[in-house]
Amino acid sequence: MKEMVFSGFGGQGVLTAGLIIADVALAHDMYATWIPSYGAEMRGGKANCVVKVDNEQVGTPSLEEADILMAMNIPSLEFAERVKAGGTILCDSDFVADIPEHRTRNDVEYYFIPFNQIAREIGNARGSNVVAAGVVTALLSDMFDKDTAKDAMLGFFEDKGKGKFAEGNTKAFYAGYDYMKSLLK
Amino acid sequence: MAKKKMMKGNMAIAEAALRGGMDIYAGYPITPSTEVMEYLSGRMIDLGRVFIQAESELAAINMVFGAGMMGKRAMTASSGPGMALKQEGMSYMARNNTPAVILNVTRWGTGLGSLNAGQTDYLRDTRGGGEGGYRNIVFAPNSIQEAVDITYDSFEVAEKYQNPVVIMTCANLGQMEEPCSFPEFKTERPTFDWAMDGTGRGIAARQRGEGSIEVVGQHTLDKVNAMIENEQRWETFEVEDAEYVFVAFGLPSRACKDTVKALRAKGEKVGLIRPITIWPFPVKAFAKLGSQVKGFISVEGTNVGQMVEDVALATKKVKTNLPCYLLNHGGNLPTVKQITAFYEGVKAGNIKEVF
Repeated sequence: MKEMVFSGFGGQGVLTAGLIIADVALAHDMYATWIPSYGAEMRGGKANCVVKVDNEQVGTPSLEEADILMAMNIPSLEFAERVKAGGTILCDSDFVADIPEHRTRNDVEYYFIPFNQIAREIGNARGSNVVAAGVVTALLSDMFDKDTAKDAMLGFFEDKGKGKFAEGNTKAFYAGYDYMKSLLK
Repeated sequence: MAKKKMMKGNMAIAEAALRGGMDIYAGYPITPSTEVMEYLSGRMIDLGRVFIQAESELAAINMVFGAGMMGKRAMTASSGPGMALKQEGMSYMARNNTPAVILNVTRWGTGLGSLNAGQTDYLRDTRGGGEGGYRNIVFAPNSIQEAVDITYDSFEVAEKYQNPVVIMTCANLGQMEEPCSFPEFKTERPTFDWAMDGTGRGIAARQRGEGSIEVVGQHTLDKVNAMIENEQRWETFEVEDAEYVFVAFGLPSRACKDTVKALRAKGEKVGLIRPITIWPFPVKAFAKLGSQVKGFISVEGTNVGQMVEDVALATKKVKTNLPCYLLNHGGNLPTVKQITAFYEGVKAGNIKEVF
């Protein structure tokens, strides 16, 4: 079982990134839950979701101890204390340059990733959440196959009537995947 | 069944109701139930069925009342203060032997409440909720798939007893997503001799002994007793040799099951009774327990204990004077850590029983 928190400002796409990972899990014949928490605002305000993936039906869908925290802004680091020892914190380096001292953990891995910059470089400035999904897929590559995951991501957008963005989203997904793989080397 | 897809609880229930034969939906929006209406506002029209955004909760429940009397499959959904407004209409439906399905996507709290999920409507919904002495069957699914399956067949249950059926989910189950699949659309539809059709047919079935307290009272009692006998549903987990038994329904029951697994791995003899119907309360599940049981722990999303009262009553079926403890976790889902700590407190004798 893997437990993940995707957290950021409303509009950064953290809820969508979580939904993509849930679909990636289903594409691997796994089970998933996605549970959101967000303010009334569509943009700004805090937004987060908890995603759990497992080979059997997930028990409680809410946060117990996260394996992965994706922190797209400084306030998201409030979840740092809920990451299990040996877990991973993925920070959006555009918003989280330094970890405040009271949020610092010595028993987890930190990675700083320029999600927006990666998305802009491949010409899909709005694709940072797809980059994020690629990053998480790479981090969980012992569970998830790169291309199966990519196809699940495309299916997710197709179901939403956004199939025409497939090319840009594929690039964004692979860019995130490859970036994370290079950090893991 | 088709391949499972991620879907939001509220929308999944709406789709299941469509497939179960819902003819009319009348409602008034309120968070966290609104996606039910939003989803149906398109789907009902596409399918040529009746969708009404009513001017109030009162109007909506009375539209459902009218449609139910005609033998139509009618549904509404609400939450918190909206559900409170519907209670008078539901009492009239019970008195007039009228089937309908009412979804309560619960909020936590009194008055306006909060947007947190909670189970603070437990006593209200399990005791009928409106004036007079009657009961509604109340289903409390703990997953989106179970909510789909229950909703799909809920109209038949309501028709069988000519009585409102309540489906109680919560803000979390309504807003979360998990994989589910849907059964086919129902095509067979029974005809009802009790349905009103404007010719005078059905009036006697509605009233059952107008003017006679004895006849109406006996009919209600017979109906309630039949529901208690036939409709108790539950799931048990690891209760065979359990010394302490958790009791929890809806989403919190999943944290309890996780806790039972974790405690069993440490050699603790614990189990879980999960009511799927919270009314009728699954007393039969308690009657099957062995005499090794030392106590019950009601885990509920309340502030003042509610289900713990039913747990205490049900323990009469095991042996007398078993302690019942209350973990009232309020408007958030309980964590395994929290339930485990509570259990350890109970076992160590540091927590006082409620009953």
